[in-house]
Amino acid sequence: MAQEHRNLFSGGRRRFTPWLLLAPGLGIYLLISVGPSLATAIYSFTDATGIRGLPISWVGLDNYDEFLLQGARSRDNIDALQRTLLFMAVVTVVQFGIGLVMALLVNQNLRGRMFFRTLFFVPVILGAVVQGLMWKLFLRPGGGPMDTLIGWFGLESQFLTGPSAFYWVIVVQIWANAGFTMVIFLAGLQSIPSELNEAAAVDGASGWQLFRNVTWPQLTPAVNTNFLLNIIGSLQAWILFLVLVGYRNGTQVLGYVVFAEGFGQTGNNTFRQGFAAAASIVLFLLVLVLGMTANFVVARRERKYLG
Amino acid sequence: MKQTVQKLWLLLVALALVAAACGSDSSSDDTASDDTSTETASTDDSSSDDAAADDDAAEASAGLEGTLRVMIHQNPPMVEWVEKFNADFEAANPGVSIDLSVIDAADLPTSNQTRLSASDVDVTTVTVTGFANPVQPYMTNVEPPYWQQLIEAGLLMDLSGQPFVDNYDDAAIAEGGSFDGGVYSLNLGRVSYSGMFVNHDLLAEVGVEVPTTWDELVGACDAVKGAGYECMTAGGADGWPIFVGAYGLLGSLYPDQQGLVEGLWTGDLAWDDEQGQKLFERYQIYANEMLEDQAAGLGHDAAIERYKAGDVAFAPTGNWQAGVLEPAADSDLTPAEFEWSYIPFPGSDNPEDNQILFGKYDQGWAVAADTPVPDLAMAYLAAFSEAETYNDFANTVNFLPTQPTATLDNTLGRSVAPLLQEGAFTVGYEQWFIGPDGAGQWANGGQGAMWFYNGDFDDAAAAAAQAQADLEAGLSS
Repeated sequence: MAQEHRNLFSGGRRRFTPWLLLAPGLGIYLLISVGPSLATAIYSFTDATGIRGLPISWVGLDNYDEFLLQGARSRDNIDALQRTLLFMAVVTVVQFGIGLVMALLVNQNLRGRMFFRTLFFVPVILGAVVQGLMWKLFLRPGGGPMDTLIGWFGLESQFLTGPSAFYWVIVVQIWANAGFTMVIFLAGLQSIPSELNEAAAVDGASGWQLFRNVTWPQLTPAVNTNFLLNIIGSLQAWILFLVLVGYRNGTQVLGYVVFAEGFGQTGNNTFRQGFAAAASIVLFLLVLVLGMTANFVVARRERKYLG
Repeated sequence: MKQTVQKLWLLLVALALVAAACGSDSSSDDTASDDTSTETASTDDSSSDDAAADDDAAEASAGLEGTLRVMIHQNPPMVEWVEKFNADFEAANPGVSIDLSVIDAADLPTSNQTRLSASDVDVTTVTVTGFANPVQPYMTNVEPPYWQQLIEAGLLMDLSGQPFVDNYDDAAIAEGGSFDGGVYSLNLGRVSYSGMFVNHDLLAEVGVEVPTTWDELVGACDAVKGAGYECMTAGGADGWPIFVGAYGLLGSLYPDQQGLVEGLWTGDLAWDDEQGQKLFERYQIYANEMLEDQAAGLGHDAAIERYKAGDVAFAPTGNWQAGVLEPAADSDLTPAEFEWSYIPFPGSDNPEDNQILFGKYDQGWAVAADTPVPDLAMAYLAAFSEAETYNDFANTVNFLPTQPTATLDNTLGRSVAPLLQEGAFTVGYEQWFIGPDGAGQWANGGQGAMWFYNGDFDDAAAAAAQAQADLEAGLSS
């Protein structure tokens, strides 16, 4: 076996074998990920419609100009951009906190912890459409469960029709994904050697001191992973808006604008996939900048705690 | 390890073979597409036949075989009718099977774009708004509607000369399905969205007459609510039924709907001028005072069921929902247990302005230009267009007929017949308005009622001013 190993990775083969092994995966990645992304970037400079047979013309920066600078439309797009950032900030922070608390709870040696782990994680496996429909039914005015509940106090459920709709989407987004955050934290918690906590306890550390000086630094990889995933996931979220609210003035986020423009869901039902591509590139740049910034911050934090 | 490398090579070879197989499929598709073009051309040639439509339908049906992929939108009475029609068509043509897809109306643009582009449908509901929102000479800096995009892409077959086209009235063909000299959609009916259903029994119980002016409507609502009933309901959960329910209000204040759009574009009219202010004030009353709170939890279909229960006086909605109140004779649905009618929304102070039904051309059949079964598609449309069949369809779905020989023989028909006889049907605002590129999200003041309903605005003047500002932002950009 050792002889075979030497033969395979010796001489000229040694240089090519890793590439050979990488080739299928790399090919698939280029085909289904990098390729469409590059095509989207190119489409963003055209008036492509996505309809077979229609000519595609090069329009330069017109789509970007219209999206970011033209008329009241750009104001609406900037509003959507700000709303996307607000959505990201609230979801990232709250989902992170709830996920951590849930992980700490179900990491205790308590009766029924497996049940609660499952219960907290179940929303994740439902998918955005099912998650949205469930909450739409739950918040339904005129006899829905929430309406009945608050009706006992003389109130009515108008949560998804009024200005609060945007915030209810945040609630659903957090509910839907906190279980995933929890699982990553749980994996991090279970990888911490129990000797560390035991030693600190022997030294007289309180529960808070244990968490702050032992658990939290040791959780750094999980913290960083969740931080990045929450930021990127919330920036790309839009399906819950589609299901819960629809394309309504004052509630759109950037991801929904991309879909609506590309697939005839706005105004004249016109397909503007070149314009939508430009919007998606703006979203991509947003994710890139925020993602890289976050990555820089967490990498520095990782070096600080873990060396 | 050597074996592992060999397996890897085998895997790569297998992947290459799969890729090659995919390539072969593409070639096959191209060939099929070419064949289709030939068949389509032969169909067009046959269109010069001047024989009677019914005879043509019978001839076209002879010896047909294959699968016809048909796409329609969700509309319960229509779906039920089309399923029965398809079964009859299959029975009459043993070699034919029909693959029916039913999708949500809101998904029609996307589904048509993707399925026509992928040659995955033969006969489709290309729109439920006729050929609406055509670009007008006074419009600049606008995008063409998607049906125009589909035609210009060559994805829809020109039905000009097909004998069954002659079964429909000229206006329906010209306004509801023609573009640039060709006929690309067979429009199946007009609908009014500017009227409202009236529960006569409830009004009688409360002691008020059917309102003919705005003030009378306000008074009727006060009386109805004072008696413990609700004034109006609509499908608030779907959003659009709220502003569509106010199209009658818009129409009664602007009887020249096309003129309204032109005036907004040219600057002769403004959302925040005197009449515009009045419109927005009434929007606010309609959305916040007339509609019941429960409407927020009702979808479009649920709202008319709610109305059918009998304790709501008015349901401002499209006449296509009459089938729920008065189902077809062979339907399993039960009729409403009160006397009702469908009247124009009395939004104006002038009763004469409240006598017009505004609406749209509704569903239009179109045929994919590259369908592999063009003869079958033509036979299908010919069979559908037979006078008796179409009349049954129109009465089932409550379309105002686009075949001159058809009549609505039901409560809705009797309600609207006097108005239609006076020619009081006109294409409404929604079918004319296009916002210019760069216009803001509030530019379409025709949807203003929903803004109050959603709580986006609580001041009519502010909403009107915002609508005008957002429109002007596009006009000037």
